[in-house]
Amino acid sequence: MNPEPFLQLDRVIHEKGRLAIMSMLAASPELSFTELRDALAMTDGNLTTHIRALQQEGYVAVAKSFQNRRPLTTCSLTAAGRKAFDEYINLLEQIVRQTKK
Amino acid sequence: MNPNWAEENLQTIRTLMERSAVYRRALAPIMLLAGVLGVVAAAIGLLLPVETYCGFLILWFGTALFALAGAFLIARRQALRDKEPFWSPPTRRVTQALVPPFAAGLCLGLLPVFFGPSEIAATVALVWILFYGFALHAAGFFMPRGIKVFGWLFIASVCLLVYGTAAEWIDLENKAHWLMGFFFGVLHLAYGAYLYLTEKGKNAA
Repeated sequence: MNPEPFLQLDRVIHEKGRLAIMSMLAASPELSFTELRDALAMTDGNLTTHIRALQQEGYVAVAKSFQNRRPLTTCSLTAAGRKAFDEYINLLEQIVRQTKK
Repeated sequence: MNPNWAEENLQTIRTLMERSAVYRRALAPIMLLAGVLGVVAAAIGLLLPVETYCGFLILWFGTALFALAGAFLIARRQALRDKEPFWSPPTRRVTQALVPPFAAGLCLGLLPVFFGPSEIAATVALVWILFYGFALHAAGFFMPRGIKVFGWLFIASVCLLVYGTAAEWIDLENKAHWLMGFFFGVLHLAYGAYLYLTEKGKNAA
């Protein structure tokens, strides 16, 4: 099996928690912090750490606002994040095809 | 390393993407409210009694408006409680799926007012039930799977009732309020009760 596609996998996205966050955000224009936390059953601290890592890489944008006088944090994929996610999926599909050969 | 890890990763990603796009508001309180309103409206229609077509329209359009307003308030309250935006992408998709069948049902319901005959309330009730089934089925693509089955129940029931009437096994004349009460009242109450027992921890709207 050619290890090339595996070596090209984005290490930032490949981590389980961050991959889950990227997957959720890829299917929705934006999601609130609580939506992500509840859907992925993560703790506030864990989710914050992963989002910060994705933000530092330029994959996720975080916006803070107020809704009914309550703070609301929403996350969305940036163009770079969507591109990186698409490339990650393409590589995974490539690996699956190779495994089946 | 498990050779299928890439495939499993892809499956996880697919599941998460689907979950992200699905409407997640608890439906039990909405179904129970719709059911109660349906039963009350049917009781009003039968006991007063409401026998003209215009009366039938006013009663059931009024009930539909109350049900929609109530559903809106319940969903908004849940969104506020969960600190989530009410007009989320899944909410938009569900609304877009519901609008065409609802609009068609509204137009067809108004038809006899302008062009008569007015003694076809039972036929209009069947049309509404059918279009409501279509609406539920369309919305079911963005909601938990049970909604599609619930939609199919409405569609299949109308088909059976039409065949039953054509074959003269059943007579639906003057049964409009019964039909509306059963499908929009009793069935919603039953589905609401089922959801209430199965949607864990989401029903305190």
